[in-house]
Amino acid sequence: MSADQEVILPTKRTINRGWILGGILVAWIAAGRAMHGKFTYVLATYDDTRMSARVDVWAKMIRGHRDAPIFIYFFNPIRHFIDTFVSLIRSIISQPLEGSSIPVFGWLGVLALIGFIVYATSNLKTSLLAMALTFGCGAMGLWTDSMDTLALTIAAVVLSLAIGLPLGVWAGLSDRVLKLLTPILDLAQILPTLVYLAPLALVFMIGPPAATIATMVYCIPIAIRITAFGIRGVPTSPVEASTSMGTTTTQKLLKVQLPMASRTIVLGVNQTMLAAMSFAVIATLIGAPGLGKPVINALIVRDVGNGIVAGLAVVFLAIMLDRSTSAIVAKRDSFIPPSDVSVRNRRIGLAVGGVGTIVAMVLSRSVPFAAYFPEGASIAKPVAKVADTSVNWVVENMQILTTGLNHAITIGILNPMESLLTGSPWFVTGLAITGISFVLGGIRSAIVTATLLLAIVATGLWQDTMVTFTQTIVATLLTMGVGVVLGVWIGRSTRADQVLRPFLDAAQVLPAFVYLIPMLGFFGPSRFTGIATGIIYSIPIVVKIVGQGIREVPTNMTEAAISAGSTKWQLITKVQLPAAKNSLLLATNQGLIFVLAVVVIGGLVGSGGLGYLVILGGAKPELQGKGLVAGLAILLLGVMIDRIAQFAVRRNSAPKH
Amino acid sequence: MSNHASTSAISVRNLWQVFGPNPDKIVGSPDAALPRAELRAKTGNTAAVRDVSFDVAPGEVFVVMGLSGSGKSTLVRCLTRLIEPTAGSVIIDGEDILKANDAHLRDLRRTKFSMVFQNFGLLPHRKVIDNIAFALEINGVKKELRHERAREVIDLVGLQGFEQAFPEQLSGGMQQRVGLARALAVDPEVLFLDEPFSALDPLIRRDMQTEVIRLHKELGKTMVFITHDLDEALKLGDRIAIMRDGAVVQMGTAEELIANPADEYVADFTRDIPKSHVLTVRSIARPHSANEPTSDQQIEASTVIRDATATVLNSTGPVTVVENGTSLGVITATDILRVIGAGAHQ
Repeated sequence: MSADQEVILPTKRTINRGWILGGILVAWIAAGRAMHGKFTYVLATYDDTRMSARVDVWAKMIRGHRDAPIFIYFFNPIRHFIDTFVSLIRSIISQPLEGSSIPVFGWLGVLALIGFIVYATSNLKTSLLAMALTFGCGAMGLWTDSMDTLALTIAAVVLSLAIGLPLGVWAGLSDRVLKLLTPILDLAQILPTLVYLAPLALVFMIGPPAATIATMVYCIPIAIRITAFGIRGVPTSPVEASTSMGTTTTQKLLKVQLPMASRTIVLGVNQTMLAAMSFAVIATLIGAPGLGKPVINALIVRDVGNGIVAGLAVVFLAIMLDRSTSAIVAKRDSFIPPSDVSVRNRRIGLAVGGVGTIVAMVLSRSVPFAAYFPEGASIAKPVAKVADTSVNWVVENMQILTTGLNHAITIGILNPMESLLTGSPWFVTGLAITGISFVLGGIRSAIVTATLLLAIVATGLWQDTMVTFTQTIVATLLTMGVGVVLGVWIGRSTRADQVLRPFLDAAQVLPAFVYLIPMLGFFGPSRFTGIATGIIYSIPIVVKIVGQGIREVPTNMTEAAISAGSTKWQLITKVQLPAAKNSLLLATNQGLIFVLAVVVIGGLVGSGGLGYLVILGGAKPELQGKGLVAGLAILLLGVMIDRIAQFAVRRNSAPKH
Repeated sequence: MSNHASTSAISVRNLWQVFGPNPDKIVGSPDAALPRAELRAKTGNTAAVRDVSFDVAPGEVFVVMGLSGSGKSTLVRCLTRLIEPTAGSVIIDGEDILKANDAHLRDLRRTKFSMVFQNFGLLPHRKVIDNIAFALEINGVKKELRHERAREVIDLVGLQGFEQAFPEQLSGGMQQRVGLARALAVDPEVLFLDEPFSALDPLIRRDMQTEVIRLHKELGKTMVFITHDLDEALKLGDRIAIMRDGAVVQMGTAEELIANPADEYVADFTRDIPKSHVLTVRSIARPHSANEPTSDQQIEASTVIRDATATVLNSTGPVTVVENGTSLGVITATDILRVIGAGAHQ
């Protein structure tokens, strides 16, 4: 019914919508002013709410009953199994065995092994790159930490794939299974990484197993999603043809669907691995060994130089894992095998490389220089110094870009908005948000929003939620500002696309933590540091989606506009952007989710809000309950943001068809 | 009906395929007679195939033709149960395949009939020879044996030298040769071809049609050929069924369809086809009138008018049309020109 109206009166509706939004905002500001500071649920950091006090009791009860049957027969065996598995891999590449000072293989052996595996699965160039990057981790003086992160990543990836691939195949084959899994997969996409940690640490205790399990919980949905997508993406006609020839279900899966989906499945392995790697860094908060430790230490003591050194090691490791696995994807572009000559050359290469690797592995167990990463090769100190100097130079000489930008945004946008969201009575802010949700997404959107807002009120953490929400909105607005400009640019110019895309790809590989370090250097501990990190982290995905949307605007539309005499500006604002409206909404949705995930991590560097409470809850036992409830509030906020955006997208795309 | 089944390669009776919320309730109810749009508006169901019955004789090429959405592709999928029909029977080689259980259906698919697809449906990760041997492989035939058989059909369809190639290295026409070879590899009794040449360029399409005619002459397989192209239907089909909105509107030889279209729909289809290319002299033979000179030449009744033109124009008088030695009447140059001229005016 409403769809029909929209078809008939599109222009009128748009005008109305803008007026209504403006009206809501004016009413919000007026009511907020009138009742400023009343009913705002302000809460001191160490004050409990009703819910957090109860959760605290539960948490203590769980910790006090580690001998309960559910632990002895369920959680502990899982924990033990994963502990054994992680320890095994760590003992091979990172941690000394009992009675020894090195793991099974010293650095040279591990380096050669990585090189050989990458060569065997892709090519020599990638193999050399992988070895150079791995060596780079050692050169940052962080060989053991890097190998710990690698070990945890490998363990989590292997276990995640062992669960995720079969489930993904199943979801690819069965509509019912997919339907069952979809809500869980969707929720997993919204959930900020920080939220996973505390509940899992509570059940599995702080340490490498809990960190691995948290990483798996984060990665399994990714593996399932991409695998199912791969199976479903197999063209129908070969599948139908094989059915017509009388294949059994198993034959069809093994001989047709899996081989044809293999490329996408390898891509899934790549994505799972990168997700595991970035999560393994953040999982340091619940006891993951490895590179997360130096990163977080640097953030806490504001040691930007050493933070950047640790960040570089993370970057090297991430790029190494990404290049190695995506080279396999590229190799699978075609099913046509290489010529006989290249097959022979490759055999020789594998033989030589294999022998070399074995020699290196043997050496690394017996000769000191191959066993311990050479101190002399470490360039950590000079790198830290250069980084420190550069950041200081920027801070001192480009104040407009650092302190100036920080103050401009904080005073110009952040403070007024925070005052509006947190200073108005909760019901005024709640009503305003519900109203905006109604205008954007319709009545169902409004109902969902109101429910989630009431749930947030029930957590007692309204004030902190609104602080985080404000930062999320501000960061997303700025992200969209920059992202749309860049997105339009790469959407319109192939050249720009070619220039920017490698940066966008590389930026997407890195864990959010890495961006936090230089931002901390530039902006100091402040709310804007979290916001700036959120912007940097979410710009690549926004630019990509907008660029894609602009590129997909039908040529006949743009050609018609050009032949009608549009200027470039008119073409962009009157044809391309409106036609790409859905991409813009989708980009906003993704931007919001990405920003939220980072803004809460900003709690580490003075952003306050829910993220700070979660991190504090992990560190201080007396605040554990509050930390858990803050995690829940982040979840509620994330779902609310996502739902509003989804409803808006659906509503916007409905009249078109 | 039962003696039909015993002499037919395929015998289809009252076949229905209804998509929607409650397909079973439609067949046999008064709603079944509703036009497609009304049926969907009333019940939410779509009848893709409605009450189709036909027989295909052994060795016959039976063409089902219709525009897109007419239900022809659904029909052929019902015959092999790639889509489960809602009601009816499909008897192939004396057996109702709609009654076969899963395992038996697989057996039938592996031995009795095979199918060629519009988009080829080749497996991109397998070489030509392994694509062709696929059906044998899933049936557990040893590698040497199945490759030997694959090579035989490779020779048959003219793919020699491409055994080790991968599908993406071949042109569309060559890929469909692989599709044909794959279907022939199991030596089926019936071949179903679902618009096999629609994705090909016109010139290649013509080559492939000739190829099918040759294969049919050599192997004598029963074929059910789906197409939306009337020229193709006329060229290949012994008999043609024309489908519209899921039902068969008319069924018969090319000549029958062109000479006596059942309705406007069929007439529309056949309008652009030169009648002289399809009609035989039988259809224009008339009694010898008294004032005409006597005829001194004879022509077989089954000759297509176009092919009879030279003979008749070169004759000094009327030509006698004969069938099995008896005269059916005569034709003159005027009769032939009338047919050709009628075509030109339309």
